[in-house]
Amino acid sequence: MKRMFLVLAVLFLALPTCLLSAETSSETAKEGSSAATLAPKEFIIYNDRNSRDNHYIPSGFMGDVGDIKINDQYMANPHSGATGIEFVYTAKNSQGQGWSGVYWQNPANNWGTRKGGFDLSGMTKLTFWAKGAKGGEVIREFMVGGIKGTYPDTAAVKFGPVELTDTWKQYAINLAGKDLSYISGAFGWVTNSDLNPQGATFYLDDIKFEADPTMKPEDHKVENMPFYVYADRNSITNHFTPSGFMGSYGDVKVDIASNTDPYLGNSCIKMVYTAKAAQGVRWAGVYWQNPPNNWGTVDAGFDLSRAKQLTFWARGEKGGERIEEFKIGGIMGEYSDSDSASIGPVILNKEWTQYTIDLKGKDMSYIIGGFCWVTNADVNPEGATFYLDEIKYE
Amino acid sequence: MLEVRLKGFRSRKVFLLAASCLALCFFIVGMASRPKPAVWVKKFKGSRYELMAAGKPYVVKGVCYNPIPIGKGQDYDWWSDPNKPWLTDGRLMQEMGVNTVRIYKAGNNPGSVKKVISDMYNIYGIRTVMGHWLGFWEYPCPLYGGKEFQERVKKEVLDMVRLYKDEPGVLMWILGNENNYSCFGQVNPWSTDEIDKETDPAKQNLMRARVYYSFVNELAAEIHKIDPNHPVALGNGELLGLEVARDVSPDIDVVACIIYRGKGFGNIFNSLKSIFDRPILISEFGADSYDAYLGKEDQNMQAFFLQAQWRQIYQNLATTKGGAGNCIGGAMFEWADEWWKHNEYDADGWSRHDAESNWSNPSYYFDIKAANNKNMNEEWFGIVALSKEDESGLDRRIPRKAYYLVREFWKNPVLTDPPRKK
Repeated sequence: MKRMFLVLAVLFLALPTCLLSAETSSETAKEGSSAATLAPKEFIIYNDRNSRDNHYIPSGFMGDVGDIKINDQYMANPHSGATGIEFVYTAKNSQGQGWSGVYWQNPANNWGTRKGGFDLSGMTKLTFWAKGAKGGEVIREFMVGGIKGTYPDTAAVKFGPVELTDTWKQYAINLAGKDLSYISGAFGWVTNSDLNPQGATFYLDDIKFEADPTMKPEDHKVENMPFYVYADRNSITNHFTPSGFMGSYGDVKVDIASNTDPYLGNSCIKMVYTAKAAQGVRWAGVYWQNPPNNWGTVDAGFDLSRAKQLTFWARGEKGGERIEEFKIGGIMGEYSDSDSASIGPVILNKEWTQYTIDLKGKDMSYIIGGFCWVTNADVNPEGATFYLDEIKYE
Repeated sequence: MLEVRLKGFRSRKVFLLAASCLALCFFIVGMASRPKPAVWVKKFKGSRYELMAAGKPYVVKGVCYNPIPIGKGQDYDWWSDPNKPWLTDGRLMQEMGVNTVRIYKAGNNPGSVKKVISDMYNIYGIRTVMGHWLGFWEYPCPLYGGKEFQERVKKEVLDMVRLYKDEPGVLMWILGNENNYSCFGQVNPWSTDEIDKETDPAKQNLMRARVYYSFVNELAAEIHKIDPNHPVALGNGELLGLEVARDVSPDIDVVACIIYRGKGFGNIFNSLKSIFDRPILISEFGADSYDAYLGKEDQNMQAFFLQAQWRQIYQNLATTKGGAGNCIGGAMFEWADEWWKHNEYDADGWSRHDAESNWSNPSYYFDIKAANNKNMNEEWFGIVALSKEDESGLDRRIPRKAYYLVREFWKNPVLTDPPRKK
């Protein structure tokens, strides 16, 4: 009896100590995961609404922030567990941007102004499950890293565009060989109203980094031909954005969804140049850039080495409109286009006419400026309205 | 009888063989003893080129030279300056490793010009590239299609060649400097009645280019008759129009390109091979040393660009494996700052080191965020700065960082590109 009492007394004293010790070691592991070593084989961004394993917060709303609604406890049909995330993108261009997106950040709303990145070294891919409400919703890009600022991410990886299906599908972003030692913007998506003119409702679930030893660094990607600059307004095959306004940019209006007699498909690009010299110079032009507004400051050129020519269709509203130059490449900056080629001056016909920019002998290994036109008021004193369609490298 | 015939046949055969051998020997000896030009272009397999001077390979390590003193305008006749700025500059250039100066146009006094060329060569071993504007900046505009204009310019050019061709310091002739832009309406536009009749503006451009490059070729052919000892280069802005020169300018020996593309020259070396297969001299390139965004001098910025530009020039020399092999060197713009350049009509401004920019070039990206993106400062391109402090009657020369870094590069060219910033 005495012996039994002693055993019970020891157990009574030892149990809380053991429990305390177990809890402490669990906390240490969590802190460790945000520090230098990452032994775990996965690092969760989102499991379920209330999961203690979740990291990062979907706080970085971008572009037309009024067009985005988030429900992080979508319960109707999650991929696994009790909840998923529902995004409703209305494409109403609330802030006049034409695009929207969300970053998962740590801490919330950290655009590189504070420390907060995790060391995810050892992870080789990010996987997530996604589906659209109807199928056909297009997400222009999913991102991993890429936050700049005082405390920038050590990697920036983009993935897309992705056309969602109406059933859950898993996607994987290859991170092998990337420096993931400091990531404060773990995951994100961006899309726009051109790709989703009616908006998009889509769902995400089970977003996580994984240490998959079979993943290999991606080889340098040489784009396949044809490589479209513009096929149709909401085509997933479009590349580059007509964002680089030059000269008297106030004289130029761009409508990339004109349905006025497109050459092919349901839309073409309408350009209106008023020749009013709004910015005091008598010329204007537009560059198609990747990403938008990249004047050689962002390392984001496409390798179009397989391209032998660029072709496009053009017509003037009246006929006789004069474009001084149609051009590809030629953006110069910290990251310059590897070459340039042009034709012109071109006097447009009233009927659709195909034009070709010959690329033989050109170094097309790094192109940020995918297409460009320039004209001036001296040769178009009354301005010029013209249309472009089917712009593609081939 | 048959035997006699055979004998005669054999002896004729032997005679013919002997005569042929003798002729071949004379030919070989004749070729061997024919003197090579003082300066010539050697071509290797794969359209690789090397400039040869005095029988040795010669990489042009050049600077554009126009030493206008502080307070003087562009018309100042520095050739006749009693303080002989080329002697001060030549010494500094020699210490840096410069072997060539590029002159845009000879001075009016042939005696002074000869003195400068010979001093530079005899004292410092520096050769001179002689240039001519081909009337590009004449008012109202150059008339390359006009016979009278052509004859006048031709006379000026050939007079220059006759005057200086026997100077041992002359390296080559450069005809024009970005004049091709006038064919494409970008600057100093001109036309002819025949061109005006053409309604397609793209064809008009090609017609103008044909007229211009044909004229330059005519000059080159005439120069070769007068002076077989020096190559003739075409001073071209970028590669614009050279597909026309390929057809009408067979007498051009070298393409002398004027290029401002920041830290490199892009695909220009390989492009030239496919457009107009000639050796390329980057006859004008460089970077200014003023940060228009921060509003202060930045010698590091200039040095960074110049070092990168020289690296690419060397990567494409004939002796460098893996490059295009058609580059024969370059001439940096420029040796010393020119304080008159911001506003050539404002004589008061010639004594002021103006920091206002007139133009934009995003290739020089460090200060592209300057107001209206105007980041290029014409008065700050010198490898050496000028000080108002007098030194032997001249503005004191102060070498900038680029002077030292390019000097080190020439001594020990490291051709691997630094890792690309991510």
